Amino acid sequence: MTDDTRPKLAPGVKLHTNAKRGTVLLAPERILELDELALSIVAQFDGKKRISEIAAALAKEYDENADVVRADIDSLLKDLAAKGYIKS
Amino acid sequence: MTDLPVPIGLLAELTHRCPLGCPYCSNPIELTRTNAELDTKTWINVLNEAASLGIMHVHLSGGEPLVRPDLAELTNAAHLAGLYTNLITSAVGLTVQRFSELRAAGLDHVQISIQGVDPARADSVAHFKGGTRAKLDAAKRIVEAGMALTINAVMHRNNMDELPAIIGLAENLGAGRLEVAHVQYHGWAIPNRAALMPTREQFLEAEQIVIEARARFEGTLVIDHVMPDYFAERPKACMGGWGRQVIVVTPDGRALPCHAAATLPGMIFDNVRKKPLADIWGHSEAFNRFRGTQWMPKPCNGCERAEIDWGGCRCQALSILGDATATDPACALSPNHARMKELASASATNTYRFRRIGG
Repeated sequence: MTDDTRPKLAPGVKLHTNAKRGTVLLAPERILELDELALSIVAQFDGKKRISEIAAALAKEYDENADVVRADIDSLLKDLAAKGYIKS
Repeated sequence: MTDLPVPIGLLAELTHRCPLGCPYCSNPIELTRTNAELDTKTWINVLNEAASLGIMHVHLSGGEPLVRPDLAELTNAAHLAGLYTNLITSAVGLTVQRFSELRAAGLDHVQISIQGVDPARADSVAHFKGGTRAKLDAAKRIVEAGMALTINAVMHRNNMDELPAIIGLAENLGAGRLEVAHVQYHGWAIPNRAALMPTREQFLEAEQIVIEARARFEGTLVIDHVMPDYFAERPKACMGGWGRQVIVVTPDGRALPCHAAATLPGMIFDNVRKKPLADIWGHSEAFNRFRGTQWMPKPCNGCERAEIDWGGCRCQALSILGDATATDPACALSPNHARMKELASASATNTYRFRRIGG
């Protein structure tokens, strides 16, 4: 993953909000519950924004060091990609 | 019963009609006729009620859901209700026109069942000539449109040798997910058990092939392996536990905790024509009958796995032991576990009884 990677959810994967459950990541026959930070990261995976831009924006929003946020994004991306939620 | 679970999925069996005649169909032997099917308006109401209940996934299934002319309308209603829409289909009848209607209606995902890779062999199991060709054409169309595709390969003694080729096919088609689904012995698979049951060696080899393929395709192809209970030491949680995750609505509107539950004797199923889904989920006798752990006999009662497998499959206990309240014989702790092994190794036959309306 480089700064210029533009992560995108795999076909059929989408965020879903429901009054009884809050927001989850839905995929065929699967549901992934994510914490608040992970949800706000995934919400940025639109195939247009670069990882570097996502990290900078979220670092500002959470008043956190950009390198720390970037490490969170990378580890989340790696995990989601291995499970097929992200199309690389 | 405390803490009523929030259901996750609705299996909407829109019809029992199907052009195929697979001898392992999970539909009941007694198939519902067309004139008893719910109409469009009632299904739309059910879909809205499901979304309000907290359900996220709707599986539009059958029979073959494409035989319903209102499928796109129902898909759109589910989509507008905020449900994740999954079409479970043979893909026979998924023409360019139908697919584009469904896509416009908001369809999220298609699951196509295949009987194998060799067209002659596969079509003979499905009892339908040209089926394999139609399935592959539809699969390509789905992937080209950028939609998520699952290939569901039903495995049994007569196609187990095709498993590596089936995995290769899923990869070549660009499917995101492959279900290697061993036949589950309910519905039409019970009278065909002796013709479908794999040998223990076949099953173990398949397991090895899946493990290797999973490692090879990590991140590109999700492979789910639905095990045959007959070779298991522990039962599966039926539908994620009775009355815990899934509601099945049959073509004529009965709400069931699992698609085979109608085989259980003395069970009264409420109908979505008469009662709201939330009422049925929370209060119906059928959903509460085996919900939780109170009903369990020993050795399930007090077992550390009681809330993992929720007592396994009631329909299997009935079909093998004649008692729906018994411990699932798939469990090695069941006093009747040996019966399961005997059935798995019973002598094979080569004749199928193909599925058809009117049994």
